[in-house]
Parts: sequence; C-alpha cells; structure tokens
Amino acid sequence: MPLFGKPHKSPADIVKTLKENLAILVKHDKKADKASDEVSKCLVSMKEILYGSNDKEPHTETVAQLAQELYNSGLLISLVENLQVIDFEGKKDVCQIFNNILRRQIGTRCPTVEYFCSHQEVLFILLKGYETPQVALNCGIMLRECIRHEPLAKIVLHSDDFHNFFGYVEMSTFDIASDAFATFKDLLTRHKVLVAEYLGQNYDAVFADYEKLLHSDNYVTKRQSLKLLGELLLDRNNFTVMTRYISKPENLKLMMNLLRDKSPNIQFEAFHVFKVFVANPNKTQPIVDILLKNQTKLIDFLNNFQNDRSDDEQFNDEKTYLIKQIRDLKKPTS
Amino acid sequence: MQKYILMIVKQKSVVKCGKKQKKILVIDFSFIFTDFSASHVTNSSGSMSFLRWVSEKLSVESLRDLELFGEQAQGLSHRKAHEDSQESLTSLPHPDSMGSFLPDSSSYELLTVIGKGLDDLMTVNMARYKPTGEHVAIRRIDLESCTNDMVTYLQGELHVSKLFHHSSILPYKSVFIAENELWVITPFMAYGSARDLICTHFTDGMSELTIAYILLGMLKALEYIHHMGYVHRSVKASHVLISADGQVCMSGLRSIFSLIRNGQRAKVVHDFPQYSVKVLPWLSPEVLQQNLQGYDSRSDIYSLGITACELANGHVPFKDMPATQMLLEKLNGTVPCLLDTTTIPPEELSLKPSRSGADSGICEGPRTGGVRHSNGDPSSSSGGHPYNRTFSPHFHNFVELCLQRDPVNRPSAATLISHPFIKQIKRRPSEALPELLQPVSPITCFESTQPLDSVSGLASLESGFSQLEVDDWDF
Repeated sequence: MPLFGKPHKSPADIVKTLKENLAILVKHDKKADKASDEVSKCLVSMKEILYGSNDKEPHTETVAQLAQELYNSGLLISLVENLQVIDFEGKKDVCQIFNNILRRQIGTRCPTVEYFCSHQEVLFILLKGYETPQVALNCGIMLRECIRHEPLAKIVLHSDDFHNFFGYVEMSTFDIASDAFATFKDLLTRHKVLVAEYLGQNYDAVFADYEKLLHSDNYVTKRQSLKLLGELLLDRNNFTVMTRYISKPENLKLMMNLLRDKSPNIQFEAFHVFKVFVANPNKTQPIVDILLKNQTKLIDFLNNFQNDRSDDEQFNDEKTYLIKQIRDLKKPTS
Repeated sequence: MQKYILMIVKQKSVVKCGKKQKKILVIDFSFIFTDFSASHVTNSSGSMSFLRWVSEKLSVESLRDLELFGEQAQGLSHRKAHEDSQESLTSLPHPDSMGSFLPDSSSYELLTVIGKGLDDLMTVNMARYKPTGEHVAIRRIDLESCTNDMVTYLQGELHVSKLFHHSSILPYKSVFIAENELWVITPFMAYGSARDLICTHFTDGMSELTIAYILLGMLKALEYIHHMGYVHRSVKASHVLISADGQVCMSGLRSIFSLIRNGQRAKVVHDFPQYSVKVLPWLSPEVLQQNLQGYDSRSDIYSLGITACELANGHVPFKDMPATQMLLEKLNGTVPCLLDTTTIPPEELSLKPSRSGADSGICEGPRTGGVRHSNGDPSSSSGGHPYNRTFSPHFHNFVELCLQRDPVNRPSAATLISHPFIKQIKRRPSEALPELLQPVSPITCFESTQPLDSVSGLASLESGFSQLEVDDWDF
C-alpha cells in the first residue's frame, strides 16, 4: 500500500467506477470530460493489475478477481462495444486488457474463451469494427487474439459475417485493409483441420468470393490473395479442396492469364498455383483440353518465363518438370 | 604507423573464427591502440578522453583515408546526402491540425522529389493535396521491387504508426495503394531530416543549442514510445525531421518492437531488427551482441547518444567501419565522444585542416595563429580547425550518460529531459530553432522543378512485360 495518497482500489471498485463512467461517456453527458479522465485512469489501473509494473509482477489472486468482475459485470464486452467513445490511448489499453484476459488459463481451461463462446456477439462487434476507421486496428488486434482459439475461430468462420472479409481486405485505406487481410489469413491457415472442413462444406460460396480478390484492381490484394491461395491449395490438409479446385477449367484459365500479369511477382505467385494443375496425375478432360490447345504456346512461354530467377533451383526444377509434362501430353487417339 | 593499422585490418578478418581467438584479439586490439597512440602523437596527455579520441579517429576516419576501405571520404557526405535522408519531409505549422486526406492518388499533384530511402525502393515527393491546396510529403514505395517479406514488414510499420499519437512523432495522414506503389501521406517537414542538415550545411556539426532542441524533440518522442512499451531500434539523425516552424518529429518506425505481446509484458527483447544494416553504427552493444540477456528501451538511449555525436561531429562514429570491428569496439567499451578542445589534443587543433579533413577532423598541414575557442558554435570557426570549439561540460556529461556500456546505468528518456544540457533551452522551438538553423532556410518553393516521373515504376513494369509477349491463350 502506498504511503501517501489513496490506497489502490480493489478490482471490484475499478470495474464499478469504469462501468459508471463509460455509461456517462456513451450518453454524451455534459460531464463527459471528467468521465473520460476516469475511464482512462481505471483502464491504466486495470492494465497494471494484469501486466504488473516495472518493479511488480502481477498478483495472481487480484488478476483472478478482476477477470471474474469483468465477466460478471459484462464490462469486458461493453468496453469493446463502446470502444469508439474511449480516448486514443484508452483504446489501446482496452486491447491490452482484452488480450491479457483472453490468454488466461486455469489448468487446461481458458475461462475467457468459454465466456466468449456463450457471448458470441463480442466476436461480431470486433469484426464489424473494420467498418469504423477509429477503432478498426484495435478491433483487429483483439479479433486476431480471439481466433488463436479454435472454438472462437470456428464461430467466426462459420458465420455469414465471415464473407465481409472479402470487402474489408480491399478497402482503400491500406492500413485497415492490411490488418483485415492479416486476420483473414489467420482464419484460413491457423486451424488446419477446422479450415479444411469448412472449405469442403462451403467450397462454392468461398471460392466465388475469393475469385473476386484475384481479379482485384488493388495490386496488393491481388498479390497477397494469390499467394495465400497457393499456400491453401498446397497444404496437405486441404487435399480435397485442392483436387476440386484444379478440376475446374475456369480456374486454370484464370491462372494462365495471371501468369501473364504485368507484375512479375503476381506471375510468380500464379505459377505456384498453375503448377498444381499440370502436375496433377488425374487431370480432368477439360483441363487436358486447355493444356493441349495451348501446348506449343505454353512450352514457349515457360521456356522464357522468369529466366532471371536462375539461382532459384526449386523454381527451375519445377519449370523443367512442367514443360516436360506439357510436352508429353498426348492428344486423344480418336 | 601504417603497419599497425594494416595489422588491425588483417586481424579483423580472423575475428569470426572462434570464441577463443576473439578473446585474444580483444586484448590485441587494446594493445595496438595504446601503442598507436603513444607512437603517433608525442607529448600524449594519456588521458582517457584522448585515448577515446584516438580510437574513434583511428576506427572511423584514418582507415578510410588510407584507402583500406576502398572508398574516399572526400565529398562522400555530400554525395550521400540525398540517398540517406530517407525521411525527408513535412510540415505545416501543426501537423496535428491537418485534416483527413483522401486515400486516392488522383487527389494529389506530385511535385519535386525531395528524398530517397529504403535502398532506393522509396521516393519521397513533395505534393499538393488538390482538395485543399495543402502541401504534403508522399513516400512512394515500389512494392513490385519488394519481396513478400518486405511487404509484410512495411505493413507492420503502418500498423504501428497508427497506434501512436504524439506531437513529436511524424503522423501518417493517409496510406493507400496507387498502382503498384504504396503511398504514405505525411505532413511536409521543410527543413528535411537532421541528417540532411549536417550533410548539406553543418558538415562539421551543429551548435550545441541547436542539438539540444533536436534532442529534446527526440527525447519527448522516445519517452512516449518507451512508456507505450516499445523499443524504437532505429534512432538516428536521418529519422528526425524538422518542420518550417521548428517542430522536431521522430520517424523511422519500421524497426519498432513492442515489449507487450501475447497478453504479457516482456522485460527484454531478443529479436534482432530486420533490414538494419544501415543502422548498425547507432545500435547499442547489447542489441548487436544478441545474447540471452536481451535488451530494452535503454538501447534507444545509447542510439540517442550516438546521434548526439553525429549531430555535433557532422558524422556518425563507427560509420564505414566493418560490422565486426564496430561490434568489437562497442563491446570493448570504446566510447565515442564529442570532438572539441577537451577531447582533441591542442597540437591537433593547431593544424590547419585541409578540405578533405574538414569533415573528418583529420589534419594535414600546419596552421598559423592561436587557438580559438568558438564555444560550441562551429559555424563561426571558419578558417580554424572545425573542432576547435568547446562544448559545455553538461553536453559532454549528457553524451557520456547515454553511452554507458551497461544499459542499467543509462538514464531513461524522462530523466534525460531534465538534464542540465536540455534545461539550457529557454525559448520555444518554434521561435528558436529556425533562427539557430540559419543560414539554412526551409524549402518554401513548392513549384515542380523537374518533370514528373510519376508512374515510372509502372512504366518499367510494362516494358518488362513486353519481352514476355506471346499470343493470347486459346480457351
């Protein structure tokens, strides 16, 4: 206890004060300035309880009390819900408090994850945050922390709102679009089995949207989504999805066009998807037809394709292999 | 003397070989330094600061002058002025008062190129924001020339910059993609970077008071950054920008690292900053050492001390030294210092500097006339030795505090703000700094002085593509 000034408030007091003042802020009362100060102060004290300070480690029992208060009062969620009214530094404090509480473990249990599973709205508030520039990045930080946990990732992935990502990643404000893409990528790569199952069940809907990203006018969206597509298809867990993708002639056409994109980086990413079509030992007839129709052109094209990458051995081996595969394709004897 | 230096250079190449050898070498080095100083300068005072001066001079300048590094010092700083001034930009009276800017390249009219950076991946243009007529700076980065890792790295910087809000940190007003370029809109800082200023005008260093103003701005930014739980890791003069009204802003957040991650606060960092080759001379021994003890925000304080020397001496200590040697020097406790009458022996200062020596503090011919004390104002010492000046004991003390080998002993940014060296500031930067920087005047001519090369990046892409031309596919 400090020698001078008031003793530190208990977690229950902090939660109570914060809740009251947040309510004032939300109502846009006249006392908003004072409330805003109080909110900031409470957030700082909470952060100190959870993270400790320079000379003090966090105290397990106080942390447990605070967490319990945050669940019971519903404050954890209302902080996220009303993030907009909290000042700039306070928003960051909320993120840090949120992420710390979310990581809490009791044995093998994650109490906050369980809490959010029964209060799923918080995930969608966070997702919706991408539509409000003032809170977008803070929401992104918290959302990515949520989807580290498979149960929470599953809720987001299987929701209708997941499709909003296809819009968010193309937003003109690049810092927000980048953040959204980072979350989107995490969702599609972190929990392999969950994702494979999801993509299997929702193949048509997901890839219809995904194709739009590959046609994007935004250079970064196009480049990054193409790269992610390559990673997804080449992941063993997604074998079924991959087989399905490479059986469709329209996908091959798209990749062949992207091979000729004006950007060498995009061409290169397209190559990594294109190679799967050619290397597939069980090509469907429409795929074989397209390859045969363009047999000579493809061989010429690949012979001259990104020859400046002479030190990339794997790339050159793959290229040689593809050329051989295409050359060996036989026209049906009919 | 040349033999000794050659010995050092030869031995340096062996340094990588093994721990045992390293230890022996460390001893060897100190021996050579002592010997060198004794044989080179007669009437050696033998004081610590003198040894330090010799070691700095030897390590940074003489080897280069002997052409052992294949590059001549002469005119180097001038040639490099524009390449290195990565963050040359911005400034309207109060960057914070600037409104929002549309994320759309057609709203901006590109004017003169005012800088380059990031190994030429980045071009900095002055520009006019059409809706309001305001002048801004635009950093354009050709993403097509960036690897995927580099793109991710740049995205990280943008993310972090949005989490900072402080009057001493350069704000990013808008960030968007234009064709294959990343455009970052910032306020226009009319004096450019502190590095620009020493490259183009204050080649022998700035006056003490000017430096105090610049360091105060940096300290305020660092206090905020450290309080937020970050380590900047790229503190140097080229990352400090000055606006027309004397506002000092820090930039260069690309290497910043958060101690708060995964819902925990880490006490130390172990990560080594990516793409940091150019920053090595500024980095603290503990960052370079990469051992299990890690490092924290005090490593930025070391870099601040190096920056203070850079601003005072006109060049950064350890610049152009091979990385391994620099690391050894720093671990060995070689402490750079401010070059003035208290650190350079009077014999050296009484020699008349040649043109090539002016930048480096190396003297070639005898000089007539007595010693002149210019009291920390290098601009008034023209004709004499550029380092024939005396910085205040407070300034020396400030630098010594920052450059202590043991990070624990270095004061925090908050403590340094009340150091007597900073306390000599009596006026507001907006009144004092533009005056102190005279005869340099801020860029005020906003006209396009050269033809626009606006979408040159894309143009080169198109031409590259034409070589690949084949007929359309048959579907």
